[in-house]
Amino acid sequence: MLEFRTQGYNGYSVKYSPFFDSRIAVASSANFGLVGNGRLYILVLTANGIAAEKWFDTQDSLFDIAWSESHENQILTASGDGSIKLFDISLNQFPIQSWTEHAREVFSVHWNLVAKDTFLSSSWDGTIKIWNPTRAESLVTLPTHSCTYSAQFSPHNPSLLSAVSSDSHLRVFDLRTPASASNHLTLSIPTHTPPKARMGVAPPVGIPPSEALTHDWNKYRDSVVATAGVDRCIRTFDIRAPGAGPVAVLPGHEYAVRKVSWSPHLSDILLSASYDMTCRVWTDGSAMGVGQQGGQGQGQQDPMVFGNGRELGRMGRHTEFATGVDWCLFGAEGWCASVGWDERVLVWDVRAIMGP
Amino acid sequence: MANQTGRASAAQDRLSQVGDHITATGSQIPKGRAALLEKGPDDIVVTCALRTPICKGGKGLLKDTAAADLLVSAFTSLLQRSNIDPALVEDIAVGTVLAPGGGATEFRAAALAAGFPVTAAVKSLNRQCSSGLQACVDIANEIRAGVIDIGIGAGVESMSTQYGPQAVTEFSELLESHKEAANCKVPMGVLSEAMAKSKSIPRSAQDAFAASSFQKAVEAQKQGLFDQEIAPLTVKWTDPKTDEEKTITVSKDDGIRAGITAESLAKIRPAFAKDGSIHAGNASQISDGAAVVLLMTRATALKLGQPILGKFVQASVVGVPPLLMGVGPAAAIPVVLAKTGLDKGEVDIYEINEAFASQCLYCINELGLDQKKINPKGGAIAFGHPLGCTGARQVSTLLYELKRRGEQVGMTSMCIGTGMGMAAVWVAE
Repeated sequence: MLEFRTQGYNGYSVKYSPFFDSRIAVASSANFGLVGNGRLYILVLTANGIAAEKWFDTQDSLFDIAWSESHENQILTASGDGSIKLFDISLNQFPIQSWTEHAREVFSVHWNLVAKDTFLSSSWDGTIKIWNPTRAESLVTLPTHSCTYSAQFSPHNPSLLSAVSSDSHLRVFDLRTPASASNHLTLSIPTHTPPKARMGVAPPVGIPPSEALTHDWNKYRDSVVATAGVDRCIRTFDIRAPGAGPVAVLPGHEYAVRKVSWSPHLSDILLSASYDMTCRVWTDGSAMGVGQQGGQGQGQQDPMVFGNGRELGRMGRHTEFATGVDWCLFGAEGWCASVGWDERVLVWDVRAIMGP
Repeated sequence: MANQTGRASAAQDRLSQVGDHITATGSQIPKGRAALLEKGPDDIVVTCALRTPICKGGKGLLKDTAAADLLVSAFTSLLQRSNIDPALVEDIAVGTVLAPGGGATEFRAAALAAGFPVTAAVKSLNRQCSSGLQACVDIANEIRAGVIDIGIGAGVESMSTQYGPQAVTEFSELLESHKEAANCKVPMGVLSEAMAKSKSIPRSAQDAFAASSFQKAVEAQKQGLFDQEIAPLTVKWTDPKTDEEKTITVSKDDGIRAGITAESLAKIRPAFAKDGSIHAGNASQISDGAAVVLLMTRATALKLGQPILGKFVQASVVGVPPLLMGVGPAAAIPVVLAKTGLDKGEVDIYEINEAFASQCLYCINELGLDQKKINPKGGAIAFGHPLGCTGARQVSTLLYELKRRGEQVGMTSMCIGTGMGMAAVWVAE
């Protein structure tokens, strides 16, 4: 396990570069992101551990980052003052572009993986905005009317995007639909819907709505999305069957889940980071051969468990809230990076914490 | 400057936004001993808990005092000790079992007589032997739900004046024809005898348990361990020998007898069956008494400068077969432990009402509890079980003892006639 200290700054998000296997960006904020400056770290993995290649200080806290998919030196930041900034890491100090349309904290930014000339942002002001880096104004504004913690383009389709927000809903927008009164909104799934009752099993209990904080599109199955949030459960949904409730429910985290991320290498594996200071690796039970093991000892299982998913291992080295995780796209599958409020960036191999 | 104030409020907004991610809501109450010991502004705290002395029914020093009068005295002592403005008390719940008409009328009158203004609401309630606890739980829930800010849970019983067959209405034919329903009418002694037999609890064990209850109570009384919880009262009392009416001050439980041993109890004739095991010495005494508990949120207590004795955490109530009434605590305690995430070993003191030595012993053995943690100052066998009062009485007994020992987590529990059990977790501070 490699470690880097973001002295004086509490980590909020970490992202591997899509171009270089040794480059990691970290969004961090002074004073736990409540008030004060932010700092964007560009870290490089060397033979002697992690080194800071460069950093950029910002006026307000940074909550998220997204590497440009079209330019290896460009990176976006989501800031507490409502601004989105584009930095070129070959330059010093200042961003090359800044957009200030959001009225409140921007909590996520995400670059379109297919149509690489667009990116999006989501904010506590209850909107998602879609942008082109060469334009000064946003292209589209999609309202959610609710504090939107996380928004993403589908990795499979340039026109499809999704968001989760504090109203406990997963929304899917399709930009190909006419911009009518629904504002491209095609689906709105309450994430707290209990799984459908099965024959011979007591019907699942109702679950109160709770803030959804994070979500991620599966990289292999184009209709599967994982969500998680304040109610401590990770859920997967198939957007082809929005009314069917979750496909899998994975309880286990002891506090709210701040980040989920599907593996870029294995279709059933995902990572999570939580306020309970752990990062955990899970299977959603969709891979062949995984189900059998999960089926045993069903009696003692948490009644919330649904589907064949289970926890495969956990990393408990963070000493404060774990806020971000990201998988390395390159090399041996399993390398990932995590950040937390303990001012530390950890780079580690998921395979080392997985059970037999 | 304006800019700075703007910043401060933005930081506050962010803090509450992020704070919402980890604050528990609804079903997500944090569990476990460590979580219980945390102090929050919304905790339901006890700022005053006291009781009258508990005296023998029929021949004790309170035999001529009406239940409502006992209550007036307990209320007056509470107002004196806590120094709370009576106008701030919004609701009073009084548990009682035997009072005709539930006691609703005279308890309201008692509150007024004790000095509460007309704005203080009063209700009486009856969940048999757990009425006093139920009253405290009801008030705690009213506070938790925001119905009221400050309330009193109380319990009272004058078994001298109100014990007897008139306390139960005749069963209709419909009830009599239903087997389990008809079982609700079986007298406590008879069914406890049957239960002692079916659960094979020998008389020797019952007598030993009862004797230790007496010995613990005698020792506690000698050391003055009841002094803090007892509020003395002055009553009129007719001397049975001379028929002379005197005014006396009662400040001690008069049912506690010294010199009781398992051997001396072994000589007493069984009361309910010739070959039985239950007798006057290993069952709870018939008694008179009242107890009151002042409850509010911690935020209110701090605002008013009320001293905090402890807090109410959680309660459970479960039903059991009417004929196995005595197993109530064994059923209710695991439920409240599960609700609070406590392990049975993490509770420092258990106050389990000793309705009968047989049922109390059964529950202790069934749950595998440490005998040393049970009723450290003795129980109802030694000083009496004024039915409606007991649940509220246990609160003061428990909290003062926890405090004295420097311990924290306590449990009160009792079996309930017609087959129920109730348990509650309290934390002393």
